[in-house]
Amino acid sequence: MSASQSAVRSRAEAVQVSRTLDWMILFTVFTVILGGYHIHYMLTGGDWDFWTDWKDRRLWVTVAPIVSITFPAAVQACLWFRYRLPFGAVVCVLALMIGEWINRYLNFWGWTYFPVNFCFPSNLIPGAIILDVVLMLSSSFVLTAVVGGMAWGLIFYPGNWPIIAPLHVPVEYNGMMFTLADLQGYHYVRTGTPEYIRMVEKGTLRSFGKDVAPVSAFFSAFVCIIIYFLWHFFGRWFSKTDFIDGEGL
Amino acid sequence: MKTIKDKIAKLSFVALLLAVTSAMFYTPAASAHGEKSQAAFMRMRTIHWFDLDWSTDEVAVNEQMTISGKFHVFAGWPETVDKPEVSFLNIGIPGPVFIRQGSWIGGQLVPRSVTLELGDTYEFKVLLKARRPGDWHVHTMMNVEGGGPIIGPGKWVTVTGTMGDFVNPLTTLTGTTLDLETYALDNVYFWHALWMSIGAAWLWFWVKRPMFIPRHIAVSSGKADTLISPLDKKVAMGFAAGTLGLVMFSLGATNEQYPITTPLQAGLMRGIKPIEMPETTVTVKVEDATYRVPGRAMQMTLTITNNGDSGIRLGEFNTASVRFLDADVTEDESGYPDDILAEEGLTQSDNSPIAPGETRTIEVTASDAAWEVYRLADLIYDPDSRFAGLLFFFDEDGNRQMTMVDAPLIPSFI
Ligand SMILES: [Cu+2]
Repeated sequence: MSASQSAVRSRAEAVQVSRTLDWMILFTVFTVILGGYHIHYMLTGGDWDFWTDWKDRRLWVTVAPIVSITFPAAVQACLWFRYRLPFGAVVCVLALMIGEWINRYLNFWGWTYFPVNFCFPSNLIPGAIILDVVLMLSSSFVLTAVVGGMAWGLIFYPGNWPIIAPLHVPVEYNGMMFTLADLQGYHYVRTGTPEYIRMVEKGTLRSFGKDVAPVSAFFSAFVCIIIYFLWHFFGRWFSKTDFIDGEGL
Repeated sequence: MKTIKDKIAKLSFVALLLAVTSAMFYTPAASAHGEKSQAAFMRMRTIHWFDLDWSTDEVAVNEQMTISGKFHVFAGWPETVDKPEVSFLNIGIPGPVFIRQGSWIGGQLVPRSVTLELGDTYEFKVLLKARRPGDWHVHTMMNVEGGGPIIGPGKWVTVTGTMGDFVNPLTTLTGTTLDLETYALDNVYFWHALWMSIGAAWLWFWVKRPMFIPRHIAVSSGKADTLISPLDKKVAMGFAAGTLGLVMFSLGATNEQYPITTPLQAGLMRGIKPIEMPETTVTVKVEDATYRVPGRAMQMTLTITNNGDSGIRLGEFNTASVRFLDADVTEDESGYPDDILAEEGLTQSDNSPIAPGETRTIEVTASDAAWEVYRLADLIYDPDSRFAGLLFFFDEDGNRQMTMVDAPLIPSFI
């Protein structure tokens, strides 16, 4: 095939080829994100996302949004500014959550027998939709970082509360008070995760009394803004080279 | 075109492999058989488990068993391991094959980490309920922050029945009775399915139209603005409003349904009560100790003084959970695991009672294949070649006294 010759013979064929490429690229992007984002999230968010007895109102609320806004920011930078496709955050989070569910269901439950109601992942979809919509309507990454990043941090806890609230009901057990989530952690033995490495309810927010979750969420939201900027530039730098070069077509 | 297609297909395949492997990357299962690989000095000079009792070696799903006994926190705790200021009484099993219904040290429930004092002896009990059928090696275990898991002896326990029958009923402080095994599971699936469908709908709204190449051409030729229509904007606003609305609504509904919730409970527990051990009337001095590599035997020369008022005999040497007994003096009645019990493993140059007031120097040999099997002999390759253990003496009435030994060890290779 010489350089001057086209790979396709008609417009219809060109459209068809372009569409085939769409699906292939989407599939590749989806699986690469699933792998990369999943590993990243396990290494940074790790136990906070694995176990209900780590999902507290201080550290989980703070850590999970900060470490999870990374890939969405980077992928948005590529998909929006190169293709005007406003689904960077949702595609990331969807890929992550599918990967997590595969892992939790097959490994945590299927292989090791931890009940699914103890090791389900966190819900990140509400923040992702807001992030994508803000970017699409504003077409400004600064505004997306500030408004979208803020929303990402703030909406995380309310978006997950309906899922974890039933597990925060208190129980009296052998003369001590536990939440059901604490009891899950105590009952379902994790030989490699002794109680003392559990990082929950630590910090210096005691002066806020019992309303810690909103304070933690605000703190998280501010850090999310910064992380969004950082990863936006990672995304830009990463997507400098085209996915496919036009000459081959 | 074909080559590009091939390339992308290849790339997709690599990506799929990468994704699958990364999803498989993590399983929190820990094998219960770390016992042999742990450095010998960790097992000899940290926590000494003794008087252990596994209440049964066969149990049906939903039935309970206990492991009880005592542990001594060695005063000569090695420098290289953090002191047990933050320790957690765990249980060494391969995942949640049992659930831990309770664990106590000195009668105090210890669902959290505790502070242990060097030189003290504690009583403990762990209550387990069988969950998954199989043969499981059930170990005692103490996790020490900065020191890692310190594994005690393990015994094989058979669980019979089917896991499907397992239930874990509880009653909350709000009066609800539930099965923690499946509690709130439908709720988890419901919200995850709902939100992921909403996410998928948003994605579908965009991927159903031509994506990468035409849009890239449009963006690079300055026609980016034509790619988003007013209708797209309306739909996007709909998604955002719907998301906010659903979050608000579900938050309100949840708070109505669960008006009483408490934060997760955590914190270190101090003031755990040790056992008041009776004053010992025996003093032991280790004159020398050698480990004979070819004979798999440890030889100690001990000078023993009996300050009590009854004749005493040495009956047991216990180190790293391996028990060497002098069959003339004592025998095991607890069903201690065979592989770490040397019923006739302790021989003495003179095992007649040491009279009150008498001081005697004797040669004591502790020999058993367990030195090799449990890799205790690796001690001679440790940076600080010392051994340690518990000695149990018995008087004429059968009363028992416990003393500790802690001394340098010289290997002998011939
Ligand atoms: Cu074992």
